[in-house]
Amino acid sequence: MARESSFNKKSRAVLLVVLGLFSIGQLFPLVWLIDFSLCKSGDVYGANILKIPNPPQFINYYVAWKDGKIPQFFINSVIVNVASVLLVVLFSLMMGYAFVRMEWKWSNKVLTYVLLGLMIPIHATLLPNFVIFRQLKMLDSYFALIIPYVAFSLPQAVFLMTGFIGSIPRALEESAIIDGCGIFRILFQIILPLSKPALVTITVTTFLNTWNEFIMAATYLTSDRFRTLPFSVYNFAGQYASNYAVQFAVMTIVALPSLIVYIALNEQVTKGVTLGAVKG
Amino acid sequence: MHRVLSDKRTILLLVLPGLLIYTFAILFPIILSVYLGMTDWSGIGRPNFIGLENFKKIIFTDTTFWKSLRNAILLALAYVFVQHPIALAFAIFIDKVGGRAEKIFRTIFFIPCVIPVVVTSRMWVSLYDPQYGLINKILDFLHLGFLKQQWLGDTKTALISVIIICMWQGFGWALLIYYAGLKGIPEELYEAARIDGATGVKLYTKITVPLLQPVIKVNFTIAIIYALKQMETVYLTTNGGPGDASQFLANYLYIRAFNSYQYGYANAISVLFVIACLAVNVLFQKIFKSENYEF
Repeated sequence: MARESSFNKKSRAVLLVVLGLFSIGQLFPLVWLIDFSLCKSGDVYGANILKIPNPPQFINYYVAWKDGKIPQFFINSVIVNVASVLLVVLFSLMMGYAFVRMEWKWSNKVLTYVLLGLMIPIHATLLPNFVIFRQLKMLDSYFALIIPYVAFSLPQAVFLMTGFIGSIPRALEESAIIDGCGIFRILFQIILPLSKPALVTITVTTFLNTWNEFIMAATYLTSDRFRTLPFSVYNFAGQYASNYAVQFAVMTIVALPSLIVYIALNEQVTKGVTLGAVKG
Repeated sequence: MHRVLSDKRTILLLVLPGLLIYTFAILFPIILSVYLGMTDWSGIGRPNFIGLENFKKIIFTDTTFWKSLRNAILLALAYVFVQHPIALAFAIFIDKVGGRAEKIFRTIFFIPCVIPVVVTSRMWVSLYDPQYGLINKILDFLHLGFLKQQWLGDTKTALISVIIICMWQGFGWALLIYYAGLKGIPEELYEAARIDGATGVKLYTKITVPLLQPVIKVNFTIAIIYALKQMETVYLTTNGGPGDASQFLANYLYIRAFNSYQYGYANAISVLFVIACLAVNVLFQKIFKSENYEF
């Protein structure tokens, strides 16, 4: 706040205008999308840049919801994501503790091995994993997504957890051990509650990454039974090739969950992104 | 104390589940990829070992491979020289505006980053559409109709169109990282500089930018790796086309495997792709390691 001391009202107003204009520019494609999702399909061909939907065609959203199989894909997304996030949180807590607090010879080497994952591009495992999953008859199942999602989120999560657990004072654990507490009680009754900020960050970033993931889902799933939400958009583009309004409605619906989560958990997302970036 | 913390069984129990899943889904596949890359496998039947044949072919004769790499470099340059200066400027603006506006703008600029890439990609396909797309309509509106294009369908404009989508979507990321960096610069430094008579732009060129250097470097590294890894947007908009005009490595190996059924060859590309990513990481860590600013 002190930064504003030499900063007068007029230049603040100028800044606000610049920021406002630029953010309108940045968000305009989305506004355009939502606008035409409420119009008649043919309206998009008109000369207008935006058009007041008169009356708004909510039927587009109804068709999108039903024919886009939104409820089914949504449930699949929820199953895959809840499982992935829970496992990532649990494993990163356990591994973080083992790396930071437990005494074993290979600790550093194994940690380095896990952090190596930060440098490996997901796409490089697409082909071999496809072959492996096919061999194990795992294609087209929830596992085909949960396993790679957990694996790829772990390095980042472990990185955050080791940093965080390292900053927790040892005193509590020491007295707990003297009182005869086992590791698992320490882990879940002392470390877990204290690590809440880090775990929330891990939850949010893992959720956003896996919820929006598409390529693995497209490669490892072949039937609508297991497909996740992004598929609604993809399926629709072919099926309703010329019905733009309904396509736009599907896209709006699919964008909504992540948008809501982001706006609700803004601070945590911001922290997660910046913490993740500091690692370099 | 020591006994509890060095119990081998507990350590194994804590580390093993995560370690197994990580090894199974990341490291083992990469090793398998190295083997498959040395075969002429089509995806079905038996792989036939051919040694380094694929790698030779890729490096010496595959023009699309090199074009994909060139496109990644162009995207990286666009990030570093176009997206980042704007992102840094806007991070400074947001930091300066303060109050409620600060948080609101920070939130707004990050919105494109949280929207599923399937949505943003299909949306941009519509925006670029020659018949009804917003881009051509805006050009008409500005009486610049002669600039109208088949943006994604034309060899001349496909790559730049894809680059624009990537810059649009990643802008919030770059901005947020700079913003976090700015927050880390202590206010006293500015005050000291003001006492020394520094004002306005000088304050930024003499204090902000130099002190932000570690963050700038991290952000550049992320951008370059991100450019190298580009796949989703390309896959969902041009699929690398027309021809190989907008091809990127990850998408190219995907096409080779699933459209041309050259599984072995695709795995060889995949291996080179991992090597490229590791090399960039290691290189940048080396370059940037020695100089760390203490605040």
